[in-house]
This record gives sequence, C-alpha cells and structure tokens, in this order.
Amino acid sequence: MEALELLGLGKNFGPQKAVDDLSLVVPQGSFFGLLGPNGAGKTTSLSMAVGLLRPDTGTAKIFGVDVWAEPVRAKGLVGVLPDGLGMPERLTGREVLTYLGLLRGLPADEVAARTTELLEVLELDDEDGKQVIGYSTGMRKKLGLAVALLHAPRLLVLDEPFEAVDPVSAATIRTILNRFIAGGGSVVMSSHVMALVEQLCDRVAVVADGKVVASGTVFEVQAGGSLEDAFVSLVGASTRGAEGLTWLSV
Amino acid sequence: MAVGLTYATADTLVRMRLAALRHSLRDKNRVAWVAGGAFLGLVLAGATIWAAAGADANLVAVAVTVWALGWIVGPLFAGGGDETLKPEYFTMLPLPPRALSGGLLAAALAGFAPAVSFVALLSLVVVGGQLSVGALLIALPAVVLQLVSFVLASRLAVAIYGVLLQVRAGAVLAALVNAFILAFTAQGWALIAAFISTDVQGTVADAARIAPSGWGLAAVESAGHGDWLQTVLALAGLALLNGLMFLAWSALLVRRTTATRSGVRVRRALTATDAGGAAGAKEVRSWTRDLLYGHRAVFAISYGLFFCLMPLAVGWKAMLPWAGAAAVVMGGAMFSNLYGADGTALWMTVMTPGATRLDVRARQRAFLLVFGPPALLITLLLTWWSGISSAWPLVLSTLPALLGGAAGLIMLSSVYSAVPTTDAHKRSGNPLNSGENEGETMGLVYVMLVLISLAAAPALLAALAWAWWGIPVGLASGVLTWWYFGRLAARRLERRGPELLTLLRHGRQPGQQAAASSLSAKLAQLPQWRRTLAGLCLGFGAIPLIPQAVVPAIFKLNHVDAKAWFLALYTAPAWQWPVIAGMALLGLGMYAFGGLTYYRASKLSVESPQADPLEDADSGRSVAA
Repeated sequence: MEALELLGLGKNFGPQKAVDDLSLVVPQGSFFGLLGPNGAGKTTSLSMAVGLLRPDTGTAKIFGVDVWAEPVRAKGLVGVLPDGLGMPERLTGREVLTYLGLLRGLPADEVAARTTELLEVLELDDEDGKQVIGYSTGMRKKLGLAVALLHAPRLLVLDEPFEAVDPVSAATIRTILNRFIAGGGSVVMSSHVMALVEQLCDRVAVVADGKVVASGTVFEVQAGGSLEDAFVSLVGASTRGAEGLTWLSV
Repeated sequence: MAVGLTYATADTLVRMRLAALRHSLRDKNRVAWVAGGAFLGLVLAGATIWAAAGADANLVAVAVTVWALGWIVGPLFAGGGDETLKPEYFTMLPLPPRALSGGLLAAALAGFAPAVSFVALLSLVVVGGQLSVGALLIALPAVVLQLVSFVLASRLAVAIYGVLLQVRAGAVLAALVNAFILAFTAQGWALIAAFISTDVQGTVADAARIAPSGWGLAAVESAGHGDWLQTVLALAGLALLNGLMFLAWSALLVRRTTATRSGVRVRRALTATDAGGAAGAKEVRSWTRDLLYGHRAVFAISYGLFFCLMPLAVGWKAMLPWAGAAAVVMGGAMFSNLYGADGTALWMTVMTPGATRLDVRARQRAFLLVFGPPALLITLLLTWWSGISSAWPLVLSTLPALLGGAAGLIMLSSVYSAVPTTDAHKRSGNPLNSGENEGETMGLVYVMLVLISLAAAPALLAALAWAWWGIPVGLASGVLTWWYFGRLAARRLERRGPELLTLLRHGRQPGQQAAASSLSAKLAQLPQWRRTLAGLCLGFGAIPLIPQAVVPAIFKLNHVDAKAWFLALYTAPAWQWPVIAGMALLGLGMYAFGGLTYYRASKLSVESPQADPLEDADSGRSVAA
C-alpha cells in the first residue's frame, strides 16, 4: 500500500488553473521531495492531498484511505505542517501542543510527556511563557513541525519545513526526519533548497504550471547532472540577471 | 518640511489608494456592501442637507456632530476603519514622518466615506447661501476644514486605540469611553436635562456649536451676521485643531511602526485533561489574553449599563431592568465573526478528527461564561433597584432567551457568514484593523443586533401575556436556540470546513462566491428595484417594529411617561394604540416582503454564473503555491 496517492487532482481559482490533473505516488518509507517554481501549485496540491482544500476533480488517498470520502480516518494517519497558516495565537507553544494532543484523544500524561520532549528537542522550551503571536517565523515553523509529529503519524506532509529555520535547528530537524524514515515513516516535503532535497530525499517530483513534469528517484531526475540544473531545464526557465540592471554598478 | 515632497508623496499614495479601491470593487460581494453603505450614507447626507434647506441651523449643528462622532466611534465597529494603505508598507522609504503622514492623510480623503461626508457637509453651503454671499463663500473653506477634521479625528482615534490596546488597563479604559459616547448619543438627553438645562434641544444645539465639529457652521453663521472676527476665529481654530491632530497622529504613527507586539504575559497555563476541556480552555484564554476580545466584552457590558443608567438622571428607572439584556445583545453582535477573527488557525480544527463539534460548543460555553454571570448579576441588581416589580417576569424571561439565542446565533453567523480578516500574525500596528472588509464587518454587527433581539421575542410575548410563565418559555427558547443553532453550525463546519478555511485564507474568489452564496446568484435574476427594496425592508424593518411599536407598547403597559423618539406617544391617547399597531404591521410587513422575496429567489433555478475574465489577476494573487 502507498503512503500517499494523488489521483488526478485539479483545482481552478476562477478561470485560472492552479493544479491540473496532478497524479503522484509516494511509496511507504520514502522521503519524497516536491519541487517547483513559485506559483507552480505545490501548496495547493499539498492542501488538497491532506484535506485542507477541496479539489475540483480527483482525490487523494493516505494509506489507501480516501481523504475526501473518509476525512476523519485519513486525518488520523497524517501529520501536516502547512505554510504560513495561523495558529491559536493566544496560547503558548506548550499550550498549543497540549490542546491539540487532548483534542486528538491522547491521554493527558502522554500529551504532557510528548509536549515536553518536543519543545526540548526543537529548542522551544526556553520561551515557555511566550504566546505564539510573539514567535518569530522560524519558531512558528518549529512549533508547526511539533504539531505534525505530536500524534506519531505514519506520514508527514511538510510545506517548506526548513524555511526561515536557523542552521542548528535545521540540522536537528534533518536528524528527526531521518530517524522518522528509519522507523518506517514516510515524508513528503516541498522545498526550494536543492542541496537539501538532494541530501535528504530519495524520490522527487517536479511540478510546473500545476502539472508534474518529472518524477522518480533523485538519481533518475538528476539525469547525470545536478538536481538544480535538471530543475532549471525541466521548468523551462533560463536563469537571468547577467544582462541589464547596469544602473546597479557605480 | 518640504512641501514639494509631501505633495509628491500624497499624489502617489492617492493613486495607490484609488487603484486598490478599483481592484477591490471587482469583488461583487464587496460591491454590494459598499453600495449599501454608500446608499445609506447618501440618504443620511441628504437628510442633513434637507435640514439645512429647512433653515433649521440647530438641527444641522447636531447632525454634523453626529457625523463627527460616527467618524470617531465607527472604526471600533468597522474593524479599525479603512487601512488600504498601511503605514507599515512605507516604513523603509527615506521619507520624513510628516511627508508620509501628509500623504496618508490625502489618501485617506480619497474614498467613499469622505465623499459621502462631503455631501453631508454641503449643508453648510446651503446654510450659508440662505444667509448672505459672504457666508456662502466662507462655507467653502469651512466644508474642507471640517471634512479634514473628521478624517483626522478618525485616524487619531484609531492611533490612540492602538496605544491603549497594548495594555489591559488601556483596553478597559477605551471600552468604557467608547461605550459612554455611544450610549450618550442615544440617551444623553437625560443627562443634559438633569444637570444642565431643561431645554434639552437648545442645549444640545449650543453644545454642538461649541464642539469643534460645529466650528465650521459657527464660521458660516457668524459670516452671515457680519461678525467677521468670530468667523476668522472659528476657521483659524479649526485649522489649528487640524494641525495639532495631524502632529499628534504623525507622532503616533512613528511609534506604531517601530513598536513590537508580543501579547500580555501568560497568567494561568492550560491545565485541561480531556478533549472538551482543552477546547474550552483554549477559547477562554483567547478572551482573557487577547486585549481586543477583552476590550469588546467590556465595551458591550458597559454599553448596556450606560444605556440604561443614563435616564436615571431624570429619575426614570424603567430602563434599569434591561441593562443586562442590552449587554447581551451588544455582546453577541460584537462577537459574531469568531472564525473570521481567528483566521487560518482554523486549519488545526479541520485537520483534527472530531474537533469541530467540540470547538463550536467550547466557543458557545466561553461566550456564556463571559456574558452570562455579569448579565444576570446586572439584571438582578438593577431590577431590584428599579423597584418595578412588574419588570421581573419580563427580564427573567428574556435574559435566558437572549443568552441562548446569542450563543447560537454567533456560531451560525461565524460559520455561515464569516468575514475574512487578516491573520493575527500578519496584522499591522492597528489592533482594531482586521482586513479590508470594514463595511461587511459593520453590516454583520447591525444584522446581529436585530437577530439577537428577535430571539427574545417569544419569551417577551409569553411574559407579557402570562407573566411568570414567560420564564420557562425563555429558558426553553434559550436552550433550544443554543443547542440547535450550535448543532447546525457544527455540522456545517464539519462538512464545509475546508471551504471556510479557503475563504479565510484567500478571501472571496469569484468562483467560490457564486458557489458559496448561490442565493445571491438567484437573487440577481430578480429586477433591481425588487432586490433593493427587499434589502431595505430587511435592513430597516426593525425600526418600525422594535422602537416604534414594541418599546412604546411596553412603555404604555408600564405607564412610563417618557416619550423619547416614539412617534405613537406624541399622538392623542386615543390614537396611540392604533399608531403602535400600524407601526408593528409596517415592520412585520417589511420583514414579510423581504423574507418572501428571498424565499422566492431561493426557489428559482440558476444558470451557472460566467466567470469574469477581469477577475483573473486578482484571484491569481493569493493562489501562489
């Protein structure tokens, strides 16, 4: 059984096609990187994959459970870190985790133990009295990751988990994710950092204009060169900046 | 200060503002709100000019004061007033603060609300024209100065809220002041009659001329009487006041754009041990830690108190028992956009299996916890103090009906008619500002004031007919509305949670607009006059029904002598009941017409709406992956 299947997902915003008949398979135990230029439809696809945005066409399955037919069962199996969404701003980080753990039906002492451990590992425990509204962007990301991990799901769907995170925390998160994979979990993450994707992921898909333009193992997609070169040629863009802008030099 | 730079900044910012306005008007829902607001504003502006044409300068003075108060208190209801151009956008520009605030002021003048107020202020020109040519000429600078003073007073008020709402005591203070001002506009006559003069209208008119909002009119009138010294003084005073407000506002803008926001320190950590408890604990913490929540709650409760206590100044106790009820109605109206206010944090509820029902019920519990005990206490104490024993069954019947009704209706409106706001962590330094939907936010408050009041109708009628038997009716209606509306809201959220999240995340989009409110698409097939009339009937049906029929009926039954603005009580005794009945019929008829129009529209079939290609650019903006 696959960890995550996207089956012909489509979404229009007005007349604009944000995602167009997008299908992907994430095998169990794989660390899957989703790449694409800005506006390619990555966030939209991931939102539809986990049940945050209703697709116009197609559906998604998490461990075989249809996200849009049996949302409650599917949502129990996945941990999600969305990009840029709000949180209960008036709670502290510890309270957010406690609140969500209890809502997920975990016993109170288990929630307390997991919360303490997550805050400690992600180095959020120094600022225990701080409300989320006062968190920096990086701290919000780390708390979001803690939220995704809290109920020990078998699949993680992470939208830009390393954005705005400092290098030390990034190393911690890499270690956590690698251990998660080693323990039989599966991860899907979107990222713009090619080096990170090359280092962490075993499979990647490149999305452009709402469609998958390449998918496979990192080795396959690289096609002999670097992932960055492959990416640039796949999305059909040429890097600019070499000509024009003469007024920038004195 | 370089005048040229200020002018250039103003020119650019005005163009930015107008461009933003143009884009926002592609949203049909927004157009409807803007058009409704502009229509209402123009009616009021027309009434002001009509008063001027009738040569009733006293009335003009009072009307202009009410316009000024609207500018000052309005932002509280309208989500912080218009902030299309946030000062934060421009902090990194190498501009002197006053050139920037000068530009922002000019941009603030380029909008619908200033335009409508400008029309209202043309009443000064009408007054001047009736006096002399000199007065007519003086009216022109007077109108401009007065309009600038409105906009500046509004911006300054928002800036002061911004400072006050950073500390708990400030939030409470701002709430008390706002509640007093708003209650005073309705009930201030009693204070004036008791402490200043029995000639209430004359005193109000005099005060309205002495207040800065009346200086423009004072200048025009003194020019008409040939008192040029006073004319110059009034205009110079207005100009000076504008200058001072501008300096204060500039200073506060600098403070706003350089201050940090971290939230108050946490007092009591979350200690719940089960899912229901956790949902409730989270909600209660929003109320105690978010100063804007606290501010609104204190505002609602103190408004109810002030509104019913002020007539005490003339020894009139009949309103005392209703203070608790008024607080609940205002409270419900202030908290009718709970999911909109929390923004995209909704994703956590959507992603957590089984959390929606718990969340809806927890929000209801928190509302009842915040408003229930104070409202009950106020009702018991003030009814006892009033000594009106016949009021006991009435208030004890309506209070539970109102509490339950409000707890149910706020969830319904929060889920079904959520108004998207800017997420808390992306907001500007204006704590009242929550997005670009100020008209819709304000409209929701008005609609909820009416709907929550109506929730008390069965209990009130039962209590009027059978006295103490009203209490079980009130309890039953309260429990029923709390439970049933909460259930409806929870079900809707369970099924359409992702759609609500999309709305809160991206705002309204043309495609979803049609889908989310296919009723509006169906309504669009009716003739324009019928839609407008139905909207007006639903909007204003409460006026004949509640203040012109229900309230005077209660007054008559309780042998209250006050006439206030109740038309029926000014007629000969024999005509009073017929007028009340007529008003009640008019109000019910208006609701019936409006309701039937909407009902019939809902039965129409609708062709799939054509997407407007113009809206492409706007919708694409927020879709970026």
